[in-house]
Amino acid sequence: MLVKLTPKKAFRIPVEAENIKPDNFAGKGKSGIESITVCHGNKEVILGSLFDVEVKGVGNEKETKILIDGDASRIKRIGERMTSGEITINGNVDMHCGALMSGGKIIVNGDADAWAGREMRGGEIMVEGNAGHYLGAGYWGVEKGLRCGIIRVKGNAGDYVGEHMAGGEIVVQGSAGLLPGLNMSGGKIMIEGDAILPCGEMKKGIMIIKGKILEMLPSFRFDGTEVIDSIELKKFTGDLAIGGSGTLYANFVSEE
Amino acid sequence: MELLIKNGIIYDPLNRIGGEKMDILVKDGKIVSRVKNPKVIDAGGRLVMPGGVDMHTHIAGGKINVGRMLRPEDGRRGIEPRRKLTRVCTGYSVPNTFATGYRYAKMGYTTTFEPAMPPLLARHTHEEFRAIPMVDKGGIPLLDNHWLIMEYIKSGDMDKLTAFIAWMMNATKGYGIKIVNPGGAEAWGWGKNVKSLDDIVPNFDITPAEIIHGLAEANERLNLPHSIHIHCNNLGHPGNYDTTLATFDLVKDVASEKRQVMHATHVQYHSYGGSTWADMDSKADEIAKYINSHDHVTIDPGQVMFGDTTTMTADGPMEHELHMMSKRKWTNKDVELETGSGIIPVFYSRKVSINSIQWAIGLELALLIKSPWKTALTTDHPNGAPFTRYPEIISLLMSEKRREEALRNVHDAINKRAIIASIDRELNWEDITIMTRAAPSKILGLDKYGKGQLGIGADADISIYDISPEEEDPRKIQSALSHAKYTIKGGEIVVKDGEIVAVPEGRTYWVNPEFDGETTKDMLDDLAVKFKEYYSVNLANYPVQDAYVPHPVEIKTKV
Repeated sequence: MLVKLTPKKAFRIPVEAENIKPDNFAGKGKSGIESITVCHGNKEVILGSLFDVEVKGVGNEKETKILIDGDASRIKRIGERMTSGEITINGNVDMHCGALMSGGKIIVNGDADAWAGREMRGGEIMVEGNAGHYLGAGYWGVEKGLRCGIIRVKGNAGDYVGEHMAGGEIVVQGSAGLLPGLNMSGGKIMIEGDAILPCGEMKKGIMIIKGKILEMLPSFRFDGTEVIDSIELKKFTGDLAIGGSGTLYANFVSEE
Repeated sequence: MELLIKNGIIYDPLNRIGGEKMDILVKDGKIVSRVKNPKVIDAGGRLVMPGGVDMHTHIAGGKINVGRMLRPEDGRRGIEPRRKLTRVCTGYSVPNTFATGYRYAKMGYTTTFEPAMPPLLARHTHEEFRAIPMVDKGGIPLLDNHWLIMEYIKSGDMDKLTAFIAWMMNATKGYGIKIVNPGGAEAWGWGKNVKSLDDIVPNFDITPAEIIHGLAEANERLNLPHSIHIHCNNLGHPGNYDTTLATFDLVKDVASEKRQVMHATHVQYHSYGGSTWADMDSKADEIAKYINSHDHVTIDPGQVMFGDTTTMTADGPMEHELHMMSKRKWTNKDVELETGSGIIPVFYSRKVSINSIQWAIGLELALLIKSPWKTALTTDHPNGAPFTRYPEIISLLMSEKRREEALRNVHDAINKRAIIASIDRELNWEDITIMTRAAPSKILGLDKYGKGQLGIGADADISIYDISPEEEDPRKIQSALSHAKYTIKGGEIVVKDGEIVAVPEGRTYWVNPEFDGETTKDMLDDLAVKFKEYYSVNLANYPVQDAYVPHPVEIKTKV
């Protein structure tokens, strides 16, 4: 089952679209999907008033693919709590994309704003462009970020990648900003570019930084070198400031 | 508006009415003896009581707000959208202000007291009170760890101590004297705690015992409607029941003819035997024995119910210990030279021996203390459980059968290290009305101001439940108490069939004690120094302005 949503215009007021997910669309026809409600600003409206809806075939949520064909840079919470199926966004997407999802796949053919994959419990998110801050993190005050599943970003990511992360995997092919892996307690983060002050308050888990660490926290112990993906990397253990036993693999640590 | 409630089965223990069929007349917000053209409510043999009074519930102030920030996942529970009359509701253990008011009213409660108002944050607390609709409120300021109070207690200057407390009631629009782990909050500023009544408070050279006794005396000199309201030292430590009993004994010599001289709160957390968590057991029997043979202390249990909640208290060091045990997220607050607090989420599990024993102790206290007038029902919301669990607790207290069912699903330790299984007492509706209405009202000294009773001239705060007092099925009791058939607040029907039908603002009770002007002047000189040297605000900006308390009920007292 394929559902194509084409935005009728470029939204200026944000749309809160946690109802756009295969779990809600499965088995419904055009009119059924058009009548699903979302919030546009503080008004509750039906999907049909914001999008042109095309439906091909029928199927359960596993077989449901949603295509948002156009700019979603003001559409928040797409795929929140989704359990299976697939969502493709042909453009940029606003905050909280795939938050709390536990299965299925989201492909963003553009940039994802902050909080993509927030508190995710399973499934996969693929971002072709850049990701914003708090990729795969836990919301302010929440105890655990990403627990399971995988997030891949082809471009760069913002600050606080994988904050409070407890499991799963994040791969950033570009660089990350400040404090990636802050307070992480499990899982694996791979940053192929540079990063600043990684792994603060890290309890457990693995961080691999193939580019440069532009600034390094002093509370890590040097434990020799290891070869990963045919590159020799320095191995550090920490964050010792909180008695952590996480592992940080680094290629180059800036002396500045 | 006039109301006639007929055919109700009335429970009004303060007026010695226990289950009689009679009419209640209401006019202009009060219970009256005559009405002309009333709207008639046919209670049809249903249970009718005064509106509920919760004397110890953390619903407003600094740490509740911080609790909301600490627990966004709690805010995602209990979400209800805005409706025609009601605003958006969120949260379970740290609900937003609107939800707090609506949920109390739906259970038939009409009066709630915030028992830990940091004086410096009194303005904030009153602002939150304004945003809590439906119920009447009051805030009890935390005074025991205030530097000036400790200095006056050290120098033995009772006059200035009394003058300062009188000034504080006025400045904070407060209702009484709250004591939390006396000396402990100050010691915590130095990373320490006090472990017994005779430990020395760092830098002040006084003991918790002296603080408690001094404040109890000042409380009686000022003739405050409520006694001192104390959270004893050593909360939550195995073997702490000794400290609790010693604390009760401290104020035996302080006299009051009209009421208790000490209200000890959430005593469940203070009734532990043993020496470690492995051999911790219930000493509810020892506590109950003391309360049964003395009349100067009242308590509330602070019942623990299984499930997720948030603990928050001005007892900062205790919260830090919980954090070190559970390793869960934690936050801590310091309130300059006055007090502090700590907050941590907690999950009380049936499978954990300690939690099961805690659950048992609260029920044991309520059942072993013979006179219900000495016990007010609380969960120390949200520390033991959110207040929305009261109906379930009442059903447990009223039905041995329900307790037996519950006992099958808890940790085995409860059979050896708690007493609950051997208790067969079942409370009746009169006991429950006392513990949830008459006793808290009397303990707070509000009975004289028309709360917790349905006598002529009393506030027309009335709850009608869709249940006959004959009903014995505990589940039906729980369900009826959760959704009042009618809640009438100040003569207005605010809840009908469990739904909100009107949203009044509620009043704020505060005490204005009159005290000798000369001593007050001297005291203010001392206070000015504290403000100049230590406080982050100016003395002139400190007192809560009248505008923050738009519906005040001022209670004047004289020495």
